[in-house]
Amino acid sequence: MARRKRKQLAIALLALCAAFIPTPSHADDAGLVLSAEASHKFNKKLSMGIEAEFRSRNNFRTADRVSLGADVSYKVLPWLKASGGYCLLIDNNREDLTYQDDGVSYNNWRPSYWGVRHRFNVSLTGSYKIQRVEVSLRERWQYTYRRTRVIDNFDFDEGVWEDHNVRGKGKNVLRSRLQAEWDIPKCKFDPFASVEFHTTDMLEKTRFIAGVAHSIKKTHEFKLYYRFQLTNRHASDEPNIHMLGMGYTYKF
Amino acid sequence: MESNKMRKILFGLLIAAMGGGLASCVNDDTDMDDIIAQYQIEPASIELDFSDLAEAADVPVTDENDSAYNDYVENTAWTRVIEIEYSNDGATVTGTVPGVTVSTDGAHVTVLNMSSGPVKFVLNGSTADGSLKFYGDKRIQVLLNNVDMTNPHGAAINNQGGKSMYVVVADGTTNSLKDGPEYTMVDEEDQKAALFSEGQIIFSGKGRLNVTANGRGGIRSDDYIRIRPGADIYIQSNAQDGLRSNDGIILDGGRINIQTTGSGAKGVRSEGPMTVNGGRLVAISDGDTRITTTDGIADTTACAALHCDTLLTVNAGVIRLKATGDGGKGVNAKQDVKVAGGRFQAVATGTRKIKKPKGVKIDGNFAISGGYFYSYSRRSDPMDVSGQTSVATGYKTYELTPKVITIEY
Repeated sequence: MARRKRKQLAIALLALCAAFIPTPSHADDAGLVLSAEASHKFNKKLSMGIEAEFRSRNNFRTADRVSLGADVSYKVLPWLKASGGYCLLIDNNREDLTYQDDGVSYNNWRPSYWGVRHRFNVSLTGSYKIQRVEVSLRERWQYTYRRTRVIDNFDFDEGVWEDHNVRGKGKNVLRSRLQAEWDIPKCKFDPFASVEFHTTDMLEKTRFIAGVAHSIKKTHEFKLYYRFQLTNRHASDEPNIHMLGMGYTYKF
Repeated sequence: MESNKMRKILFGLLIAAMGGGLASCVNDDTDMDDIIAQYQIEPASIELDFSDLAEAADVPVTDENDSAYNDYVENTAWTRVIEIEYSNDGATVTGTVPGVTVSTDGAHVTVLNMSSGPVKFVLNGSTADGSLKFYGDKRIQVLLNNVDMTNPHGAAINNQGGKSMYVVVADGTTNSLKDGPEYTMVDEEDQKAALFSEGQIIFSGKGRLNVTANGRGGIRSDDYIRIRPGADIYIQSNAQDGLRSNDGIILDGGRINIQTTGSGAKGVRSEGPMTVNGGRLVAISDGDTRITTTDGIADTTACAALHCDTLLTVNAGVIRLKATGDGGKGVNAKQDVKVAGGRFQAVATGTRKIKKPKGVKIDGNFAISGGYFYSYSRRSDPMDVSGQTSVATGYKTYELTPKVITIEY
C-alpha cells in the first residue's frame, strides 16, 4: 500500500514538473550536459568541490562548452548554506549572421569561435524538509567576465574578411532556483526537480529540470536528468534547448 | 552483487555519454563558403586603353537628305582657309577670308566670322598662354595639326557660334588643349570646358587629341557631339565632367579615353540621347560624391563614368566604365537603356558613405537583345533598374550573383 502511494506521489510530482515545461517547438535545439565532480567534506559545515562539465548543442552534434570550476560551501545554519566559487568557461560561441535593412541581403557573418570567460559566484541556499521532500531555494549572484579579443568577420558589403573586435565585458546575473528532492524509502533512485530563473535587467532564461539521482555507498552519486532551457526572445537570439544531463560525483 | 551491477551500468552509461559528447565535433555554422566566394569576386579590369583599334571604314554619308549628312566634314568644300601658328610670343595668322576678322592679343586669338560660307582654321604651334575664340554663325572646321595650347584663364578653344564645329585631328599628329584652374568670364558668354562650343562638335581625323581640364570640363557642347571612327581622344579632367553635351552624343567610332577626378564629376554626360554605334569608350571616374549646401540645405551629387539623362542606346562598340569614388556609378541613366549589340562593361568599386555605388543604375527600363553586358558593384547590387528589365531570348549567358550580372548573346 505504502509503495503504491509513493509511486502515485512520484507520478504526481513529475506531472507537476511537466506542467511547467512549455511545449517544444521545431526551432528548439537539443544537447547534452555531462559533468564529473569530486567533493570533500572537511567537517559538518565546510566542504569543497571541483567540477568539470561538457555541453553540446545542435542536436548533440556540436560542442558548446567545456568548463572547469571549484567551489567552497559553508553551513551557516542547519538550514542555510553559503557558498562561493570560480569557473573557467571555454565557449564555442554561435555564429552571427546579420542582414541588410531589406531583410534578405547579407550584411555581416561572424563564424562560430571558441572563447574564454571567467565566472565567479556566491550563493545562499535555504532548505526545508517536508516529510521526505526537501525543498530548497538558492539565490546566486554570478559575475562573468570576458576579455577583449579579435575574431574574423566577413563583411558582405566590402566582400572581405576583416578583424572584428569582441569587446571585453562583465555581466551580472541573479539566478534563483527552487528545487525539490525526494528521499523515497527503499528506492534506489531519488527524483528531483527544479526551476531556475536567470535575471539581469530582465528575465533572460528559465531552466526546468527533472531527474533522478542514485547513490552507491554515499561515495558515488549518479544523476540523470532532463533540462529544458527557455530563452527570452527579447534578451537573446539563442534558441530554446532540450538537454539530456548526466553527472557523476565522487564524495570523499 | 546488485550494487556492483548497477555501478557497472551507470559507469557504462556515463562513459558512453562522454564518448558521444566528444564526438560532438560537427560545426553548426551556416555553410557560407560558396556564398562568400561570390562576394569575393574581383571586377573585370577596366583601365585606360590606348591600344590600336580595328574599325570598319568610315564611309561618309552622301545622301543629302540624311540627317547626318552635314556631320561629315567631307561633304563641305573648305575653300576658305586661315592658318594660325601659336608660340609663346604670340600667334601668327596666315591667310585672309572676306568677312572674317582675326585679332590677336599675345597668343589669344579672336575670330569674328561673318563670311558667306564655311571657313577652315588650321592650328599648329605651342603656347602656354593662348586661346582661340570664335564668333559667328557659320560652320567652321578646326584642323588640329600639332597644336599644344594652354589657356590659364579659360577655355583653350571656345566657339560662341551655334553652327557645327568640325574638329579634325590631322593624321599622325598629337595635339593638346588645356584650361586653367580659374576662368575669366565674359558677360553673357559661356565657356564651360577646355574645348567648348555653343554648337555641335563633330570629331574626325586619326591624330591624337589630349584634353586636360583643370578648371571646368574637358570637352563640352551646348548642342550635340558626334565622334567618328578613327578619332583618338584622351580627356583628363581634374575638375568637372570629361565629355558633355546638352543635346546628345553619337559615338560612331574612335578611341575615347576619359578619366575624371573631381567630386561629382562624370566621365561622359549626355543630357540628350546617347547612341553608341562603334568605337571604344573607356571612362573612369575617380571622384567622390559632391556635397553642396544652398540656404542650409545640403545636396549630394555622385560621380558616374557615364551619365545619360535620356535614352542610352548601345548598338555596337566597346564601352568600359568604372567608378571608384564614394557612391560612384558606372552608368547612371535617368531614362531607358537599350543594348542591342557591342560589349558593355560597368564597374563600381567605391565606398558607400554618402551615396550607394552601383555598376549600373537605370531609372527607366532596361532592354537587352544582343551583345555583351556586364555590371559589377562591390558594395551593392550589381544593377538597379527602377522600371522593367527585358532580356530577349537567345542569350548564351545570363548570370546574376550578388556582385555581378553578366548577359551575353
